[in-house]
This record gives sequence, C-alpha cells and structure tokens, in this order.
Amino acid sequence: MSENRLIWFHGRECPHCRQLRPVVERLEKDNGLTITQLEVWHDEENAELMRSYAQAITPACGGELGVPAFYNEVTGKAICGGRITAEQLLEWAKG
Amino acid sequence: MKKLWRCHVCNDVHLGNKGPEVCPTCGARNAFVLSDRAEALEIIGEDHPVIGTPQEVVAAWRQFADQSPTVRLTEKDEEVELLSQGVLENRNTKGQRYCPCRITSGDLRKDLGLICPCNFTRQRTYREIGECWCGLFIKRDGT
Ligand code: SF4
Ligand SMILES: [Zn+2]
Repeated sequence: MSENRLIWFHGRECPHCRQLRPVVERLEKDNGLTITQLEVWHDEENAELMRSYAQAITPACGGELGVPAFYNEVTGKAICGGRITAEQLLEWAKG
Repeated sequence: MKKLWRCHVCNDVHLGNKGPEVCPTCGARNAFVLSDRAEALEIIGEDHPVIGTPQEVVAAWRQFADQSPTVRLTEKDEEVELLSQGVLENRNTKGQRYCPCRITSGDLRKDLGLICPCNFTRQRTYREIGECWCGLFIKRDGT
C-alpha cells in the first residue's frame, strides 16, 4: 500500500460527504489529482486507518474523529468538516 | 458512578446521581429509593417497542426537537432520511444508533457519546454555526 496518498475519509450516510462528492471529483479532474476515498462506517479497515491518523484528524474536526475528513499522507495535514471549500481542498492537496 | 433509583409509589426507574425530586410519572415528591440492576431490569421488562425503522428513528428525533425551546430538526428531509438510515445501519453493525458522521473508538463507554442525538451543544459546529456536526439539529432563531 502506498503511503503518500491524498485520502478522503467519508461515511456512506453522511449528508455533508454526499454534498462534497461533486466538489472533490471536480477538483481531481481540474488539477489532475487522485483522492482516495475510504468509507469508514462500513469498512473496519478504513476506520482503523483513520484512527491511526487520529492525532492529526481529531483536532481538525474539533475534538472527535468525524467525516468528511481529508488526510494528506505526504504532509500529515488534515482538514475536516462539512463546510470545506474547493479552495481549502486544493491548498490541503498541494501541501 | 450513577445509581439506579425506584419511585416507591409507581415504580418509575431512574439512572442518575440522585432520584428526581418529583416523580415525572406519578408526581410524588421525594419518592425515589435506591434500587439495583436486577430490580430495575425486572421493572423495565422486555416488551418495549424497538426503534428499528427510519420512521421510528425520525419520530424520536421529532419528539426530542418539538419539546426543545432551543433546537429544531433540519428542514432538509432527504438529509433526515439519510441520517436515519445511517444510525440504523450503525445499530445493526455496531450495536447502537451511532452518529453516521463520526466513528466509534471501540471504547464502549466513550462511544456512548456518539449515540444520536448526542450532546451536540458542546460541538464546535454548534457553537459557531448553530448546527450539530451532521446538520440534523439546528439552533432555533433567536435562541
Ligand atoms: S452530530 Fe447530530 S446527527 Fe450526529 S449524533 Fe449528534 S445529533 Fe445525531
Ligand atoms: Zn412515581
């Protein structure tokens, strides 16, 4: 498994994740990026990986492990929450 | 640790640091006596309806919001529907009606804080924009 991915941790029944999907997909297309989508409620392995990045993700989410959460394996930077914008995502992706 | 209490008039059962001063069911005052798990479970019995369909989940949310002077349910019906499906999925796979927008830690005590509705008023999103993390419960205007 590569260790330098841009990861999006999301939940299948999370409304903010659903709203964000077209934004993420457009960002990938426009900037030639690949963002790996990992569902965390229906896949325990993905949840474990998210927990392993808790140190970065928890503060970004305001104190808990929430979705939508984005983790950059290169920079170790995380952003989290339902109001993330395309600009914030791009900045996060570029490190 | 919280204790179990029983109303000696009507057998209401309460879990908490102390019994309610006024029994919410029969109105008796200073009526609660220390109980224990076996007694409380016997009183509770086994024939309570399960909250097992999206409609039943939403009905519980509405009851909670309707009685509240400070929060209401979001008007986005599709989101309510999606979240109700999510908490039921989580009940079926993880045991409780956990929040679909956060994940369990595996520590059961800690995860009690993720049962929906959670104590969302302490969340950053609630303090800053007046919404629970998932956008299900919204602060009422003027509160
Ligand atoms: S954040 Fe909202 S949807 Fe999630 S558990 Fe709390 S009240 Fe329920
Ligand atoms: Zn009583």
